[in-house]
Amino acid sequence: MSMGEVELSCLAYAKMYLHASQFPRCSVNGLLLSSSAAGGAVCITDCVPLLHTHLSLAPITQLALTQVDVWCSQTQQRIVGYYQANACASDSSPTPCALKIAEKIFEQCNNAVLLMIDGEKMFPGCRVPPIVMYERKDARWALKDKHTIMLRQWEETCSIVNQLFSSGDQALLVDFDSHLDDITKDWTNQKLNAKIMELVSPANGNV
Amino acid sequence: MSSISELYDVTWEEMRDKLRKWREENFRNSEQIVDVGEELINEHASKLGDDIWIIYEQVMIAALDCSRDDLAWSCLQELKRQFPDSHRVKRLAGMRLEALERYEDANKLYDSILQDDPTNTAARKRKISILRAQGKSSEAIRELNEYLEQFVGDQEAWHELSELYINEHDYAKAAFCLEELMMTNPHNHLYCEQYGEVKYTQGGLENLELARKYFAQALKLNNRNMRALFGLYMSASHVAASPKVSAKVKKDNVKYAAWAASQISRAYQMAGRGKKENKCSVKAVEEMLESMQITMS
Repeated sequence: MSMGEVELSCLAYAKMYLHASQFPRCSVNGLLLSSSAAGGAVCITDCVPLLHTHLSLAPITQLALTQVDVWCSQTQQRIVGYYQANACASDSSPTPCALKIAEKIFEQCNNAVLLMIDGEKMFPGCRVPPIVMYERKDARWALKDKHTIMLRQWEETCSIVNQLFSSGDQALLVDFDSHLDDITKDWTNQKLNAKIMELVSPANGNV
Repeated sequence: MSSISELYDVTWEEMRDKLRKWREENFRNSEQIVDVGEELINEHASKLGDDIWIIYEQVMIAALDCSRDDLAWSCLQELKRQFPDSHRVKRLAGMRLEALERYEDANKLYDSILQDDPTNTAARKRKISILRAQGKSSEAIRELNEYLEQFVGDQEAWHELSELYINEHDYAKAAFCLEELMMTNPHNHLYCEQYGEVKYTQGGLENLELARKYFAQALKLNNRNMRALFGLYMSASHVAASPKVSAKVKKDNVKYAAWAASQISRAYQMAGRGKKENKCSVKAVEEMLESMQITMS
């Protein structure tokens, strides 16, 4: 992989998709993480679903960013991006809040990405990934060339997401908001992560 | 496919009572309502008596939420047959049109209700919901403000307006709406906590101190509100760290923050007990509290 390319793992994609599906009437957001070393291409290996209420209010966002930061340093991961799905499915453009948080992440990670989920493409049988990516270019967030976004084993990823829905495991997803409602719930989603990795075929170690 | 009654070993009476509970508490667990309600209607309609009509309404709305237009349509037909001239049923027909994104047709329906009955609040609120669904936030805000001038006691509307203002980053106006809500619902810890969040977001020393006070108030009303606890911790920490405060204010806020930190630690220790998967979140919070203490002193 070369500079400017972004790879999105099955795990990250599945959890983002599940997050947006769990709260169809709300805007949701989360952070994109990488367990790879900095430099070169961006490999998004995991994500942390954050909020489904009051995305633009500061305290909980700040709290979540701090906690994820701490967790990342404990687990050798880095925050490399931000995702958001707007409540209004027909409008997938980044909101001021999305740009603000992405900007903050860019301060620490110079190839940070901003990912918007396109609600209109989230239907069963859709042949294209429902995502739009932005990168920092010339002091603004510009649309990323689709050809630099890699989603390895797209068909398999779709099938894994479908399996999660049919087994009811999609309900396992916990976002930071839900964690605050009940702190016995794990926002790092260890249980769900394990289920997803089980479904990922062992031959493709890097999905 | 086994039925709900088989899967969960419940009687039809229990299913009917569950539906009533969800109705009374205004839950929007639409998938569950559809599952339980559909079976109740299909298998036990004759036993439900007059309850059936309100159940048709509840199931219809839930069906729209789950894109079950077939079910929504059949519920609507039953209601139309029983209550042919009802505005309430007309509004349900309008909601179905909204679900199908036929907003113009829905608006026509609501306008005809309002022509007949200009005080029909339900129809007015549906029109505002359409503006929201279409992403026309400023118009929705304008209409909602006009509505509230007439119906100043409508809590639901005040809350909806506060949400709209928060989305538009108009925190001062959101605060105003929350002030209305706190006045009429002084025991509601959620409004106090949300107000604290808005004040914190507005920023500046005065707003942070206000935020801290309202987070504290929220905790007084409900000492398990984690957002309020974290909010208290963060706002007190920021005030204590500000170069503009007197030594006394700094001391007091350090005390508040320390108290909040200990409460947070305790809550997480209790939550983490026996659950291996929570070790991650517990550790993260501990480190965070430690790191924030360092920047404060």
